[in-house]
Amino acid sequence: MSIIFFNEWKGLFRNKLFLFFISFFLLLLFIVTFFGNIQNKKQILNQQEAKNHIRDQWDEMGPSNPHSAAHFGTYAFKSNSILNSLDEGVNAVTGLVLRLEGHKQNEVAFSESSQSLTISTFGKLKVSLLFQFIIPLFLIFLAFNTYTSEISSGRLKLLLIQGNSMSKIIFAKIFTLLSLATLLLLFTILVQFFLNINYIKLDQITRLVIFFFSYFLYYFIIISFTVFLSLLLKKSTSALSLTIITWLLWTIFIPKTVGNFTESLTPLSTRIELSEKIQDDRSKGIDGHNPFDDRKIELEKEILARYEVDSLSHLPINFAGILMQADEEFGNQVWDKHYGELYEKLETQKRNYQLSGLINPFASLQSLSMASAGTDLLHHLDFLSHAEKYRRYFIKTLNDEYAFGGSKTGERGWKASQDFFRSIKDFSYNEANFISMKNKYFIDIFCLFLWSLSLVCLIIYYSKNHPFNEY
Amino acid sequence: MIQLINVNKKFKDKVALKNLSLEVKSGEIYGLLGANGAGKSTTLNLLLGFLNADKGQINLIDSNDSSIINQDRIGYIPENVNLYPYLTGLENLDYFSKLAGLKFKSSELREFLSECGLEKEAFNKYISEYSKGMRQKVGIAIAYAKNAKIYLLDEPASGLDPLSSNELSRMLKKMSKRGATILMASHDIFRVRETCHKIGILKNGSLVKEMFSKDVSPVELESLYLDYMKN
Repeated sequence: MSIIFFNEWKGLFRNKLFLFFISFFLLLLFIVTFFGNIQNKKQILNQQEAKNHIRDQWDEMGPSNPHSAAHFGTYAFKSNSILNSLDEGVNAVTGLVLRLEGHKQNEVAFSESSQSLTISTFGKLKVSLLFQFIIPLFLIFLAFNTYTSEISSGRLKLLLIQGNSMSKIIFAKIFTLLSLATLLLLFTILVQFFLNINYIKLDQITRLVIFFFSYFLYYFIIISFTVFLSLLLKKSTSALSLTIITWLLWTIFIPKTVGNFTESLTPLSTRIELSEKIQDDRSKGIDGHNPFDDRKIELEKEILARYEVDSLSHLPINFAGILMQADEEFGNQVWDKHYGELYEKLETQKRNYQLSGLINPFASLQSLSMASAGTDLLHHLDFLSHAEKYRRYFIKTLNDEYAFGGSKTGERGWKASQDFFRSIKDFSYNEANFISMKNKYFIDIFCLFLWSLSLVCLIIYYSKNHPFNEY
Repeated sequence: MIQLINVNKKFKDKVALKNLSLEVKSGEIYGLLGANGAGKSTTLNLLLGFLNADKGQINLIDSNDSSIINQDRIGYIPENVNLYPYLTGLENLDYFSKLAGLKFKSSELREFLSECGLEKEAFNKYISEYSKGMRQKVGIAIAYAKNAKIYLLDEPASGLDPLSSNELSRMLKKMSKRGATILMASHDIFRVRETCHKIGILKNGSLVKEMFSKDVSPVELESLYLDYMKN
C-alpha cells in the first residue's frame, strides 16, 4: 500500500495545478490563523481593559449606598478562548458581555460591532469556514476520479495483476488524500500552537487534539464517500455530481431542516412570553414597596422575633437589606425555574441536533469543532450559569453589607466604605475543562466513527465486485 | 500451462463463452483469433481472475511442480498500455515492479527497457511524451521483468509500427524459450502466424478451429479465418 501511496504523492507533486492550490491553501490558512489570532488577542486585551476599567470604577467609587451600587451593577466577560480564532461558534451571535445587576438577570449582549457589517452575513473568514466548506470541496474534486481514472485508463488491470487487491489500491488512494488533508490540519494546528505557545495549557492541547481528530475523521468520511460513490457508479462525472449534491445536503439543507425539526420538537418561548412569565411569577414575591404586602409583614415578624425587638427601628441592623436579599432569593428561584427550563430545552435541542450526525456527519463535525474551540452552546450555558452564580454572590454581598454593615432600618442615605467595594471579588471565569464535558459530545464522536467504519465496510464489500464484470 | 475445460460465461442474456476448451503448454505461444465480441477479452479476464466462470474449469498450472499459478505470477499486456503520465518510462517500470514485490537496480531496469526495444534517450522522459508504441514497450518490459510463468496479451501489437511489432514477436519468443506460457488474443492474423506456435479461432464464444502455425501459410490462415467469420 505504501508504494501506491508514495506514487500518488509523486503524482500530486508533479502536478502544477495541485502545487498552486496546496500553496494557496497553506498561505490562506496561515493568514487566516495568524490574523484570527491577532484579532482574538486584541479582543482579549479589549476585554481586559474593559474589566480593569470597571474594576477601577468600583475601586474609585468612594463611599456609596450598596443598594445603589447593586443597581449600578457590573459586567461579566466571557473570556475569549485562545482557540476562538479556530471556530467562533455561537460567540458571534451571543456576544461576550453580560451585565449583572440587582433584581434582574440580563442576557448576554455586546457582540462585536463588526458582526453588524453586511459582509458578515457570510460569516468571517475563520479557519473553521475553510476547514468545513472549502477544503472538503477541494478533497472532493481530487477524489472523485482517483479510482475511475484507473479503470478508464486501463491501469487498474495492471495494478491488480501486479498482485494488489482492489481494496488495497482504493485505500492507498484514500490515505493519500487523507494525508494531504492531515498536512493542512497539522499545519494550522501547529501555527495556532506556536502563536499561543505561552498560553497553551493541557486543556487547550486536549482541545487541539479533539479538533484535529474531528476533522481528520470527517475528511476520511468525505474522501471515502466520494471514492465509494465512484466505485458504485463507475463513472466519475456521476460520482462527482452525487457527491456535490450530498455535500450540499449535509452542509446546508439537512442542518436547516433538522434545526427546524428539533425546534418544533422542543419549542422555546419567545422572549416576550418568557419575560411575561418571569414578571408574573416575580409579582408573587415580596413587594418591598408595598407596606401591606403579606410576605413582607411575615418577614418583618420573623426578623423582629430573631432580634427580640418589637419594632424595625429597634433593630441593630437595616431591615431593607434583608428585605432586598429575600426578594433577590425569590427572584433567583423564579430565574432557576424559567431559565432552568429554557437551558434544559436548549440542551435537548442540541442533543436532538447531535443525533442528526447519524445521517449527516457534518453535524457531528460542527458540534465537535465548536466544542473543541470552546465556543458551542454548552460552553456558553456553562458561562451563563457561572455568571449567574457570581451575580448572586455579588448582590448578596451588597445586600448583606446594607443589612449588617452598620446601618439601621430607615437609614436610606447610609453609605458603605470604599474598602468594602474594593473587597468585592471580580468575576473570574475559567472555561470548562473539555474532559469534564466529554460525555456531552460522545454522540458526535460515535457518529463520526460509525460513518468511517460503515464506509470502510462498504468499500471493502464493493471492491470485491470487479468493474470488468460487464460485457 | 493454461487449461480451460468446457468454460461457459454469460453476461445477463448474452452468451460470451460456450463450452470453451483450450490448452496452452509451457513454453508455447498460443494465438487466439476472433472478431470483436467473439469472447477473446472475456477469456483473458477469466484467466486474469477478474471474472468468474459460470461453468467449467480453469487451470493455471506450473508444469515444473504442478502447483497452481496465482495472479501475481501472471504477466499481462493490454491493448493500450496507459501508464502514469507523470512518471518516466524508467519510473513506471520501477513502480510496477515494486508493486509485484520486485526490486531492481537502475541498471537492471534500463536493461529490461533496452531488451524490449525502447531507445535509451526515452528512459527518463515522461510517459506523457511517449508514442503508443513506446508505451507498449514499457508495458512489455513490465511484464517481462516480472519473469512470469504465464503471459496474457490482449491485442499487444495494436497500433504498433512493423518494426515494433517485430520486436514484440522477438520478445515473446524469448519469453517462451524461458519456459513461459503465452496466450495472445489478436485480430492481427499475420502477427499471430509469425509469433505463435498454435492458433485458435474463436467465434461466438466457441473455439471453432485449432491449428499449428507451421501447418498453415499466412494466406491460408487468412482465408481460413475469413471463411469462419463469414459462416
